[in-house]
Amino acid sequence: MSNSFEPKILAFLCNWCSYAGADLAGVSRMQYPPNIRVVRFMCTGRIDPLFILKALTSGVDGVIIAGCHPSECHYGKGNLYTRRRILMTKKLLECIGIDPARLRLEWVAASEGPKFAQVIRDFTEETKKLGLNPLEALTRGEGIK
Amino acid sequence: MKTNLYLAWSSDRKIQETGNSGGAVTALLKFALEHKKVDAVLAVKKRNNSRFDAVPTLITDPGLIHETAGTLHFAPVSMVKIVKNYLDGARNMKIAVTCKPCDARAIIELAKRKQIQLENLFLIGLNCSGTFLPTVAEQMISEAYGENPQDLVKEEVDNGKLIITLKDGSTREKDLEELAQKGFEMRENCLRCSYKIPRMADIACGKWGNSGKEATFIEICSPKGHEFLDAAAENGALVMEAATSEQIEERKQEETAAVENAQAREQKELDVLKNYSPDERLKFWSSHLQRCIKCFGCRDACPLCYCKDCYLEPYRGCVAGGETPPDIMFQLIRLSHVADSCVNCGQCQDVCPMEIPLTRLYNCLNRELVRIFDYQPGVDVNQYPPLTIVTDQELFIDAPDIINITSAAE
Repeated sequence: MSNSFEPKILAFLCNWCSYAGADLAGVSRMQYPPNIRVVRFMCTGRIDPLFILKALTSGVDGVIIAGCHPSECHYGKGNLYTRRRILMTKKLLECIGIDPARLRLEWVAASEGPKFAQVIRDFTEETKKLGLNPLEALTRGEGIK
Repeated sequence: MKTNLYLAWSSDRKIQETGNSGGAVTALLKFALEHKKVDAVLAVKKRNNSRFDAVPTLITDPGLIHETAGTLHFAPVSMVKIVKNYLDGARNMKIAVTCKPCDARAIIELAKRKQIQLENLFLIGLNCSGTFLPTVAEQMISEAYGENPQDLVKEEVDNGKLIITLKDGSTREKDLEELAQKGFEMRENCLRCSYKIPRMADIACGKWGNSGKEATFIEICSPKGHEFLDAAAENGALVMEAATSEQIEERKQEETAAVENAQAREQKELDVLKNYSPDERLKFWSSHLQRCIKCFGCRDACPLCYCKDCYLEPYRGCVAGGETPPDIMFQLIRLSHVADSCVNCGQCQDVCPMEIPLTRLYNCLNRELVRIFDYQPGVDVNQYPPLTIVTDQELFIDAPDIINITSAAE
């Protein structure tokens, strides 16, 4: 039963590094699970914790955010702001009882196609283990079992 | 070296009688108004002479200052939103504000966000050992003490006891723990609060360390505070003498005991939640949050919420309109917005008609963030909220999930 569970994952990618990294993984025909849906941001610094929370309450099982490595941000320090926000958001999730592993931040450069594929494989595997996101049932008004 | 610790009392006999602990604060407020040091004073007074109904009041006439004399323990009133919303963030007038530590901290947090002009404020911090909700207090006086609440003329918290003075001059005291067992407790955020002396204000006043004298122990915490008190002493409105080392020690002991108490309480209360399994925790919070009737009370009462265009409004597309209980996003948005800066003032929980333990939720997260970011909200006006800044050093840290940004940066 648990093997048949396919998590829905939302990937927030930065335009300059990780989106290009994902592109490279694609054109290089690297295999990775088809569970992710990509949203492209000009910079991970644009990602409000709200987007993550909204995703998790709308039936997404995991959120992965990928941006440029520190000191390589196209805009200077956008990714550093994100790092702080993600720290906060992870603690927030923990606080209300959602496993913070459902949220992950990774650095993927434009040249790191293989890393992108690996990151998605890992994260999908992990989310699969975590199972269905309990927040979704909650927002559907079904309560917690 | 000039000391910053004094014992002070009013030189006016009448003020001494109406105010507590020598009436130093009342005298200072009066002096400030009389000599045009400030344009107005924002303080708390009793409405209809009831100690259970305190309201903030703006006073410009020095003759009316006596209305605010005396301490009130049943008055969890926040001054912050008044300064911000109704006094234009103190942009156009100089105001002396009497504030509890949480008020002072929230004012500083708003000043960081450019919502309050701190230069125009003179913060008179009042030591705070916690406040009771008026309804709880009223019931406590009649049930636990067996007295008519309207006969109450004064109350004090001292050495873990609540001492009340009645109209006929008699006093009654009861142990706070004993009262707690009967269900009469201070507000839960107060019990967890370890800010007892508001050193972030310009001056911090209280009775700890007055060795039983009719005097107020004042710690001066800023140059502005020095200037003010020097002027008041020179004028003769205030009599000041440097505190002796025994008095300083006495105050320190009182503070340490109170803080330790609060920390133990915080640890105990929040560890209960921490020890829950994630599912239990989610169950706990969802059972509380699904009582929400979406009155927006927590948002409106929160001293830190200041956005004009609020994400909780239906047109922002995050929380649908006309639904109760609202989507859990409602609370998550609030939580993520105050997370790093919550000052644990308890206003959200006070106003909540459904008695959702909101402060516990915010406190829980804030305590973690204080540790991670090494950031104490509302203490230093020059230290910016951790989610709004990054340091150059962080450019050279590669880990995406580094926990200790600040210590790594140093």
